[in-house]
Amino acid sequence: MSAPEPVAVVGLDCRFPGARDAGEFWNLLMEGRDGTRRVPEERWEADRYVLADPASPGEARPPGRSNTVRGGFIDDPDAFDPAFFGISPREAAAMDPQQRLLLQCSWRAIEDAAVAPEDLAGTDTGVFVGVMANEWAHLQLADYDGITARHGSGNGYFMGANRVSYHLDLKGPSLAVDTACSSSLVALHLASGALRAGDCDYALAGGTNLIMTPVLNIFYTQAGLSAPDGRCKPFSASADGIGRAEGVAVLVLRRLADALADRQPVYAVLRGTGVNQDGRSNGITAPNRWAQQQLIERVWRSAEVGADDIGFIEAHGTGTLLGDMMEAQALGHLTSGRSGGSVALGSVKSNFGHAEGAAGIAGVVKTVLALHHRTVPPSRFADDENPGLQLPDRRLSLLRSPLRLPSGTVHAAVSSFGMGGTNAHAVLSSPPRAVHRSGERVPGVFTVSARSARQLRPNLLAQADALARLPEDRLAQLCWTSNRVKSRLPHRVAVAAGDLASVVAGLREAAERTHDEEGGVRRTAPAVAFAFTGQGAQHPGMAASWYASSPVYARLFDEIDAHLAGHLGLSVRDAVLAGDPGVHRTGLAQPALFAVEYAMAGALADAGIRPAAVIGHSIGEFAAACAAGVLEAADAARLVARRGALMEALPDGGGMLAVPLPEAEVAALLTDPARVCVAAVNGPRSTVVAGGLDELALLRATLADRGVNARPLTVSHAFHSPLMRPAVDPFRHEGADVTAGAPSVPVFSTVYGRVMGGEERMDADYWARQITAPVRFADAAAELFSSGVTHIVEIGPRAVLTPMLARLRPADADPVSCLAAHPGERAPRHPLHHLLGQLWSAGADPTWDSLYPEADRVPRRLPPYVFDDSFRAWRSATAPEPPAPHLPVDAAAARPPVADLADPCPPTPDGGSPHGVSEVTHRLVCRVGGHDPSAVRDRSRLAEDLGFDSIQVMELKTRIENELPELGSLPVEELLASLETVGDLARYLGERLLVPTAPTPSAPEGPRT
Amino acid sequence: MSPSPAPVAHLVSVGTCLPGEPVDNATLAKLVGVDEQWAEMFIGNVSRHFAVDLATGQVRHSLADIAATAADRALAAAGLEAVDIDCVVMGTATPDQLMPATVNLVADRLGIDNVPTYQLQSGCAGAVQALDVARTLLLAGRCSTVLVIGGDVCAKHLETDFDPGSRTPGELVNYILFGDGAGAAVLSAESFGERVEIRQVLNRLVGLGKAPGQVIDWFGLGDRHSDRIAISEDYKAIEAAVPVLATQMFWELIGDVGWTADQVDYLLPPQLSGRMSDRISDAMPAPLAQRVNVVRTVGNNGNALPFLQLAELLGRWQGGGRAVTVAVESSKWIKSGIALERA
Repeated sequence: MSAPEPVAVVGLDCRFPGARDAGEFWNLLMEGRDGTRRVPEERWEADRYVLADPASPGEARPPGRSNTVRGGFIDDPDAFDPAFFGISPREAAAMDPQQRLLLQCSWRAIEDAAVAPEDLAGTDTGVFVGVMANEWAHLQLADYDGITARHGSGNGYFMGANRVSYHLDLKGPSLAVDTACSSSLVALHLASGALRAGDCDYALAGGTNLIMTPVLNIFYTQAGLSAPDGRCKPFSASADGIGRAEGVAVLVLRRLADALADRQPVYAVLRGTGVNQDGRSNGITAPNRWAQQQLIERVWRSAEVGADDIGFIEAHGTGTLLGDMMEAQALGHLTSGRSGGSVALGSVKSNFGHAEGAAGIAGVVKTVLALHHRTVPPSRFADDENPGLQLPDRRLSLLRSPLRLPSGTVHAAVSSFGMGGTNAHAVLSSPPRAVHRSGERVPGVFTVSARSARQLRPNLLAQADALARLPEDRLAQLCWTSNRVKSRLPHRVAVAAGDLASVVAGLREAAERTHDEEGGVRRTAPAVAFAFTGQGAQHPGMAASWYASSPVYARLFDEIDAHLAGHLGLSVRDAVLAGDPGVHRTGLAQPALFAVEYAMAGALADAGIRPAAVIGHSIGEFAAACAAGVLEAADAARLVARRGALMEALPDGGGMLAVPLPEAEVAALLTDPARVCVAAVNGPRSTVVAGGLDELALLRATLADRGVNARPLTVSHAFHSPLMRPAVDPFRHEGADVTAGAPSVPVFSTVYGRVMGGEERMDADYWARQITAPVRFADAAAELFSSGVTHIVEIGPRAVLTPMLARLRPADADPVSCLAAHPGERAPRHPLHHLLGQLWSAGADPTWDSLYPEADRVPRRLPPYVFDDSFRAWRSATAPEPPAPHLPVDAAAARPPVADLADPCPPTPDGGSPHGVSEVTHRLVCRVGGHDPSAVRDRSRLAEDLGFDSIQVMELKTRIENELPELGSLPVEELLASLETVGDLARYLGERLLVPTAPTPSAPEGPRT
Repeated sequence: MSPSPAPVAHLVSVGTCLPGEPVDNATLAKLVGVDEQWAEMFIGNVSRHFAVDLATGQVRHSLADIAATAADRALAAAGLEAVDIDCVVMGTATPDQLMPATVNLVADRLGIDNVPTYQLQSGCAGAVQALDVARTLLLAGRCSTVLVIGGDVCAKHLETDFDPGSRTPGELVNYILFGDGAGAAVLSAESFGERVEIRQVLNRLVGLGKAPGQVIDWFGLGDRHSDRIAISEDYKAIEAAVPVLATQMFWELIGDVGWTADQVDYLLPPQLSGRMSDRISDAMPAPLAQRVNVVRTVGNNGNALPFLQLAELLGRWQGGGRAVTVAVESSKWIKSGIALERA
């Protein structure tokens, strides 16, 4: 028999008494701290149910009383982030907090595995949750009069796993497992089995336990199992019973081979698991040494390990005299013949008690972390060992101080036994060593996103704090991981940098800048136009940093250089990169600009930023035509080379003059159309004139007399003027055999000053005409602004068009952002990274992989999402009469007072007007969902943002019908189709009010709530 | 059970970190007023790195920063994670603070815990001393994979807010001579596929009755206004003693491992300044052994130097062979050395 396929633990998250996450849990264990405390007031009135144990053993215990007021309670079990999961506050308040905690824990565990939860959506990922407490249901469902539909989905521990599968859209097996105290180790067993069987490729295995009533405390006391001090003291002479504890933990599992192939970090490896039953033993609740022994023996054999291989054992270790004895005997049978020294023995129950449904997973998390840190934490109460257990003879030793594990593969064993006799056991090992050497040091973009503006700040700070502690060289791997794991939520911050310290500083600055207000977030993907710069932007060494930092840019630049070289007889690439001042010469300037723009647009496209429209200024139209699929690279290169050569061959003596006046006023001053004309219109008061130098000097003097300061441009020729005419026919001839395809995206022609028509082509005639025609940039840009683009990115070696566009941008329309791909040589480094960060922040979805070498695409762990904990909902156990549900009293302002939500709502007097409809809609949506009015906006989506399910939609429909009886009965299907957002619904209702409807009887009982 | 073979100490990997961009003599000339030509001719160093930005006086990196980066690079080069390390030894003359020891801040940065750590207060021989401690622990079976770190940061001693031209050549020597840096090595009883074995490490104090050749003082609240000089060197004594001590150490080391001088393929001589190291290097035995000198471009960064030499050596070393490192600490006079063999 060969060992079962190894299963990797790749991610985890947990909350236990005294520990809010895995890091704190580890510290608690290593420091040997006590996580127990007095029963918190909001659980139940501890003193009401407590009575000390009788003085003599023979004395009867009074019924209905517990002997302890202590236990292991987690902090803030009532906190939850319903909006994150699209759950309405009402529904969240009705949900068992165990479901809420599992959801958040699952999300964080997946992120801890360096996987985006969104990437698991729709996959066959399995969810296996151990749970035995159903105390919320006992509290909630005792009030039969108050039961609504929501109580069904919020209660019943069976929903724990299904809730996770639903909200994360996981389609593999999904089951709650209840075998009492061994539930979560059995869940782990089932999860690894499902992975091995191929039922799923990822599995979440977890456990949860919240203590909401004193019922089990009383039961344990009555059965003589409850420790008066509320603490488990496993294997100790002072062991006197169980203390109850809470906890929630989720592990993310994968087949080891898959994890290694994906270079995922691995905490530990599950080598084998098993489950059996005591059968008909000495009482249904009594532990059975023989069954335990058989199970452990079997699991060790199947995992192909012996007692000599086991480095430490995480025992069930409840700290009852009988249980400890049975377990020591069962283990000792296997370990007493061990060679070498004793095997370390401990139980996490010593730190905070018995977490029941989450007890097994608590032991596993401890074991996994111990294998990860290669150190076994000590057990509390180990210095007072129970001599009756004869641990030394059994070669078992309680750990009084941390044990550093030897190098190489180490194995560990974990036991968890259920009260009804279902035993579970697992063997784990340290992970195999995986070598991932990082590549050359390259810059990256670190991305952080949050569901709400408010949560951006804590998440930015969490990342900054973690990164500040890491060594410098992991920058690219950490950035790549952040892109992979943390780039999907709507509120976004990107920091582009070449070193880790700059990322940390950037994240901290961003955290200072972020405000709680909504805004700056775009839900739809941006539409990006590319604007290609014209002549004048060239300079020696332009955009050399792109060549150095972007392999794609370098490749495209080389390619286009090869095309050009055949016509130019020299390498544009070499000239540009060498900083040759010759790039100012027209014959070189035009091909060089074209090459830079061609490669820059290509690099952006490769990074997932493809233009939705293009515009080009003069020579910029050639690279624009390539980007729009009009020209082949080779053809464009030939045309550009020829164009530059023809123009350079023209005699000197021409120039250009920038005039800050409207085109018409300038044109009125031009007297000799054969010698001077308008060459470009860049704005309403930004006109360029070209022509003979003498004529321009005259014009400049005339303008100066009028107090207008015209500025001569540094050019060799009078481009776009009649002086260019000799170049026109030869250039038309050059272009005669060029195929000009139909553009794949709208082209805003600066020859026409408008978008190209369907039949118009950028053919030889077009390019010939372009030589002498004025550049109608302002007109073309005006059309571009109204075309629905959200961003215009200037493609070129300097920001020339960006300021022009910013001035041309209409003030009233939706803001269009104008960005420069390469703002200049002195701009911040890593311009491509900055640009991608900006566009991603605006909703774009770049192909991040293109930024990083293959060796750096290694997932690294980053801190998981920090949830909003301002929502609170809890229900105290104050038997016998359960009170009304205690709705979230979140920072008072976050939601209206409870009374408001429950009050009947009076019909508004102006309910019939469209404005009134909007108000009524908002109010009823708030009431049905239990939302704070400030959280409900016109653009809030009912399902995704407000968590409306079909039950709530029906309730909303009824309420609307009652409040606005003139609407008549609302057709549900039509309603569902029209109600993506609250605004949609209000508009729909408003329109319906304006259309006379056939009178439909309203709900017979009239307004009700 | 048969007795396990005697443990062997392997040099698995080396990582280094030099903070910021190199600072050349022209920049130093501009910022602190040294004479470029003089620097090149009499000291021979052409560039160095500083943890402090000389132009602004802003301290950009601590020793812990650069040591952690060097250590992380060594781990990455070995393909190991922090949890694989079961001991850390660091040598430095310039800890960030007297307490806590910088080695423990570096361990924290790397995520290393629950292992023995040591910091040796040491000058240029510190790296060798740290390697000695590490190797001894490995051979004793006390641990299996040790991270050894050396580094120095002289930011504390670099004044940046004076008028160029106001300093004597003696004071300016320090700017030319010294630099900041850190290095690290992973030593292990396992080879991890690497083939360099540390055959011998020697350390010997030889300063009885001799005045220190180099002093770096430190000041606290009580004596910070005293007029003691923070850094001083006796260059004449250093120039005279180091070649002798280096040659002695070379012979002792190869005698210990039973090599002859002509069997040595690489020699890593003491690194004082570019010019002095060349001279010592030329005068040392084993004329055919390739010299590995780095101080000319990285500056004298104390405890980092042997690691920078080792990194350079590993880059050059193809095939089998033998290498000898010699370091001399001219404070209270320590000679030290390492014998390495590649299978």
